[in-house]
Amino acid sequence: MTDVTDPLAAEIHGPSPRQLLKARALSHKGLIFGMMVVLLLVLVAILAPVLAPHDPYAQSLMNRMVPPVFMGGTWEHPLGTDHLGRDYLSRLIYGARVSLMIGAIAALISGVIGTAMGVAAGYFGGKVDAVVTFLINVRLAMPVVLVALAVVAILGGSLTVVICVLGLLLWDRFAVVMRASTLQISRRDYVAAAQVIGASTPRILLTEIMPNVFNNLIVIVTLEMAHAILLEAALSFLGLGVQPPTPSWGLMVSEGKNMMLFEPWLVLIPGAVLFVLVLAINLMGDGLRDVTAPEGRS
Amino acid sequence: MLAQKPTRSTLVAAVLMASVAMPALADKASETLNVAFTKELENVDSYFNSSREGVVLQRAIWDGLIYRNPETNEYVGNLATSWEWVDDTTLEFKLREGVTFHNGEAFNADDVVFTVNFVANEENGVKTQRNVNWMKSAEKIDDYTVRIHLKEKFPAAIEFLSGPVSMYPNEYYAEAGPSGMGLKPVGTGPYKVTEVVPGQHFVLEANGAYHDSPKGQPEIAKIDIRTIPDVNTQMAELFSGSLDLIWQVPADQANKLAQMGQFTVANESTMRVGYLQMDAAGRSGEDNPFTNKLVRQAVNHAINRQELVDALLQGSSKVVYTPCFPSQFGCVQDVTEYDYDPEKAKALLAEAGYPDGFSIDFYAYRDRQYAEAITSYLNAVGITTNFNMLQYSALREKNMNGEVALSFQTWGSYSINDASAMVSQFFKHGALDSTRDDEVLEWLNVADSSTAPDTRVEYYTKALQKITGEAFWAPMFTYNTNYVFKDEVAYTPTSDEVLRFVDMSWN
Repeated sequence: MTDVTDPLAAEIHGPSPRQLLKARALSHKGLIFGMMVVLLLVLVAILAPVLAPHDPYAQSLMNRMVPPVFMGGTWEHPLGTDHLGRDYLSRLIYGARVSLMIGAIAALISGVIGTAMGVAAGYFGGKVDAVVTFLINVRLAMPVVLVALAVVAILGGSLTVVICVLGLLLWDRFAVVMRASTLQISRRDYVAAAQVIGASTPRILLTEIMPNVFNNLIVIVTLEMAHAILLEAALSFLGLGVQPPTPSWGLMVSEGKNMMLFEPWLVLIPGAVLFVLVLAINLMGDGLRDVTAPEGRS
Repeated sequence: MLAQKPTRSTLVAAVLMASVAMPALADKASETLNVAFTKELENVDSYFNSSREGVVLQRAIWDGLIYRNPETNEYVGNLATSWEWVDDTTLEFKLREGVTFHNGEAFNADDVVFTVNFVANEENGVKTQRNVNWMKSAEKIDDYTVRIHLKEKFPAAIEFLSGPVSMYPNEYYAEAGPSGMGLKPVGTGPYKVTEVVPGQHFVLEANGAYHDSPKGQPEIAKIDIRTIPDVNTQMAELFSGSLDLIWQVPADQANKLAQMGQFTVANESTMRVGYLQMDAAGRSGEDNPFTNKLVRQAVNHAINRQELVDALLQGSSKVVYTPCFPSQFGCVQDVTEYDYDPEKAKALLAEAGYPDGFSIDFYAYRDRQYAEAITSYLNAVGITTNFNMLQYSALREKNMNGEVALSFQTWGSYSINDASAMVSQFFKHGALDSTRDDEVLEWLNVADSSTAPDTRVEYYTKALQKITGEAFWAPMFTYNTNYVFKDEVAYTPTSDEVLRFVDMSWN
């Protein structure tokens, strides 16, 4: 008897899976760092009206390109002013809103589309799978940047257009990963058991499949969010994304580009912030993957 | 600019300069002057492009019958030695003898007749009709005497003949056409073209057999022009020595380059006028706000022209209230001026029925920075702008189709020192006329075709006063150009925004 009960007892008295998860998460430096930075930027974005020292749209042509504090400027404009005399720090803070909003909404739209397609393909298989796989292939055959450029050029650049275009273009990875994960999960015994006791398909999808593919979903969400933020910056840099005077980090890089040789900080500051945000989101994604699926660590 | 002494940023530039150092490809020693163009030139044939770069090449490759001295504004003969008005619509020219084109073809009356008849024929599609459509035809009297017949009285004829109307070789042009001419241009000018990579690269060599022209003789043996769209790249190449001269340098960069003390930075005003065009005729929609005079006046009051000039354009730019350049003949300055008064602008908008302002598509094609600053002024009084930056040709087409309610436009008048080159281009019910005012049309017709200077001034005054009084446009500022070149290049830029290679030499 002791042979059987001992390991069981040990398991009962050991830490619960949730506690294990928490311990792993807290010891993961990348995850902690990424989360802190993202959280900080989200707070900054939400509190922008409180934090920003100036109106990000207030133009003062007599105060153009004031250098930031660390290059000989004053605390009146800690990060200096841009080519139209607008406070750089305030524009950076409001720019965080644009970047995060685009990242989050685009990831949400593409997440919903991709997950629905992927889970359906993985669970139902057969013709549904064939159609979804075909759609994924079609989508993968189109270069994202090129299509986004073309669509934005035709419809005109605006925040809504950019969000929609990115949301409708970035679902491929969701679909691929969700399809593979669902395929794996739907062969498990507990799914078969649920089917045997007569649970409805929506119920099985929601209570048996989704909770088990959620880990993967979170990782993809972070990846695609970073992807969308970078694409928005690229589109804005090319003049096809968010239109002035809306502050956007990509647009700020683009506007500072002409003065790059003499006022490099105009490009360096928004570039650095963009880099940190994308890095943080990616670290967070990697960390989440490591923590939730430790066997996936390589 | 804030920095008056060499700053950290100039040091950064100096470091960059060292890091991009490449073997100097050309300089005084190699007798080659390297120049950068910012925009791509679509066709070297001067009748089939409408860009500043085209004008620069035109003045180097071809000659006109008449030459206007850019310093004194005096007209002297170039390919013609003398001219006279036979009657109000006929000009007779005595042509210079012994002139040959770059391909060896001799210049005579046949060339003039062919060129004029070709360009004056609307079917041949000369890009800027305004430059040529006042001519009806040309007639050969003998080998070196020719008459040009005008459609109607046109006092600015001499100015146009000394500007955009240049003479082409008849035999070659008949065979090559505009596209052939664009690839292998042939003219009588001080420089001949030895290489053309369309839109990218042009190599000119001094014409050793250039006739005794008032333009003077070319001194620099070879001019190598490359299209480099990015101003940072242009500056980096200037530092590294692979460019000798850049122009149209934005004011901010020119200031910094001047501080470095290694280059000559020359600033000259140009005839280009920047203005806001408003759809007063209602072509983009009967109910568009700009059909209301009060709204147009509000726009005029919303713009801080002086601040734009002082902070952004700098140099020799001036505030302007007329839809023409002040030095142009007939461009009287006795017009309605709108001072910067955002409160008044808001009040006018409220009076016009837009107490909360309105939202409108705003178009621009160049100088994004100026355009952004302008939209910022408009936003401040409640006019929300959806910013659209288009290519010039795309915006021009949209404009011709009447789809543009509000746009930031500029016009350089082809450096023609006569108000007709601008006012009459835009207010005579052409495709680009956004106002369509009958009275203005009538007055401009009188002013354009009268030979009596007093009558011309009188009617231009009427037209300009109505245009400004009705606030059809919001003229804002004149442009200036910065020329930056190595100290070993000697050149004095002129105020007409034309780069004259023939006036350049080595120090």
